[in-house]
Order: sequence, then structure tokens, then C-alpha cells
Amino acid sequence: MEVFEAVAQPKRREILRLLAAGEMSAGDVASRFSVTQPAISQHLRVLKQAGLIAERRDGARRLYRVRPEGLAGLHSFLTALSSAALERLKQAAEEEERVGARDASRN
Amino acid sequence: MPATPAETSVVEHRIRIAAHPETVFSYFTDPTKIVHWMGTEATLDPRPGGACRIRLNEASVVLGEYVEVEPYRRIVFTWGYEQQWFSMPPQSTLVEVSLTPEGAETLVVLSHRRLPGDLAAAGTRAGWSHYLPRLVVAAAGGDPRLDPWQDIDVVVQAVRDVAESS
Repeated sequence: MEVFEAVAQPKRREILRLLAAGEMSAGDVASRFSVTQPAISQHLRVLKQAGLIAERRDGARRLYRVRPEGLAGLHSFLTALSSAALERLKQAAEEEERVGARDASRN
Repeated sequence: MPATPAETSVVEHRIRIAAHPETVFSYFTDPTKIVHWMGTEATLDPRPGGACRIRLNEASVVLGEYVEVEPYRRIVFTWGYEQQWFSMPPQSTLVEVSLTPEGAETLVVLSHRRLPGDLAAAGTRAGWSHYLPRLVVAAAGGDPRLDPWQDIDVVVQAVRDVAESS
């Protein structure tokens, strides 16, 4: 399951927001929504496979929390060759020539 | 070179830079300069078949190879992720950069080709310009361990709008 595909589903985004506030059990998550527990479990499975949340067992309960590094991947994918990156390239190249011109005019 | 899948997308950026093509070129081929605008660490061997490896942050490394290096005019390299992100394994996509002098400026045209034809490509196309400044703010300070709450909010908003507009 792709990260983007996982996040594209509205219910899963709501679940992510909920878990970003703190670790919760599947039951706690399900109690916040008007859909069935199996449907929530399916969403949690997708988010886990996409690396966006982590699961741990506490006795009979399964607890879920957000994985910041899962988002870091999405973040770098979105930013790597972006207009924001190209704007930084523009600033760096222009600054280099300005400094070069200053140095040359001093000689 | 892997066969081109049937359904792929291209994302194109154009930017004018008030600098010579020679200067702009070096920001795609010099590892100490590329990190001024992309990633934190780079190993670049700018000749056909030479490696192009850029660490974007703790969680992602881009791995590719230079395909064409024509000084001050054109740079082509493959692009993918060492990690299993976005159906884009190492070398699976292609970045073409052309540099054209226009008076005192350089026109940079960057085309990212062979993007897998899924939501990732739609996001790549639609998401950049509008949302990226906000994402960059969310990641300000260069700390790759993002604040999950702030970042989820921004990313989720961006993805929702992209998904609904595609």
C-alpha cells in the first residue's frame, strides 16, 4: 500500500489526526467513528502497512501511534524537486554570482 | 533502463535564475553545492553511468545515475528512493534539466518523467507549488524529525485537496 493512497482516504486521515494526539487502542479509535470496528481495523492495517502508524500489544489490546518517520518520507517526496527547492537553487546561484562580482570588482 | 510503464506522468518546472548557466550547472553536479537547495548530504559522480545519491533526510535517500552530462546545457539523471516510497525504486524515474542562457539570466526547465501513474504523480503535479511553502515551514529548522501533529495537519490537507482535484 502506497503512503499517498493510504492518506488519500478521508477516514484514514481522520484516524491519523486522532492518533497524532496520542497512542490509542483500536477500540478507542472505533468509538470515535460511526463505522464498524472491522472497518476501523482495516483502516489501521492499511496505515500500518504504509508505515504511517506503529502497533504494539498491551495484554489483549493493540495500541496504535503515529510514526513520524513515515511522514518524513512523504514530506521528502513532496519537497525534493519542488518549486520551493528550485527557489532555493535560484537564491544560491544568484548569491554566488553576486559575491563573485563583488570579489572581482575589488581586484 | 527499465521499460516505461504504460501509465506514467511528467511534472515540469520552469524557473529563471539571474546567474550564468555555468553557475547553475554546478548546483546539479557539485555535491557541496547541491545540498544548498536539496538534501543534507550528496555523492555525485557527474558523468554518464556515474552515481547520484542524495540524502534528503533521516528517512529518505535518493539513488540514481547520471545519464547525460553536457556541460552548462543539459543534465539527465535517474531518480528513485532507496526506501520503498511511492513505487519509485532506485533509477525508476528520470529527471531532465536543460539550461538556456537568456540575456543575463538562465532559463531552467526541469522535467521529472516516468512518475508512476497513481496518486503520487497527481500529488507531485498538483501539490508542489501550492502547498510546499507550507510544508517547508512545517519542517523549518532542518530537523528531519517532524512535529507529527503539525505535519500531519499540513500533509493531510494537501493530500485531500490533491485527491479531490485529480
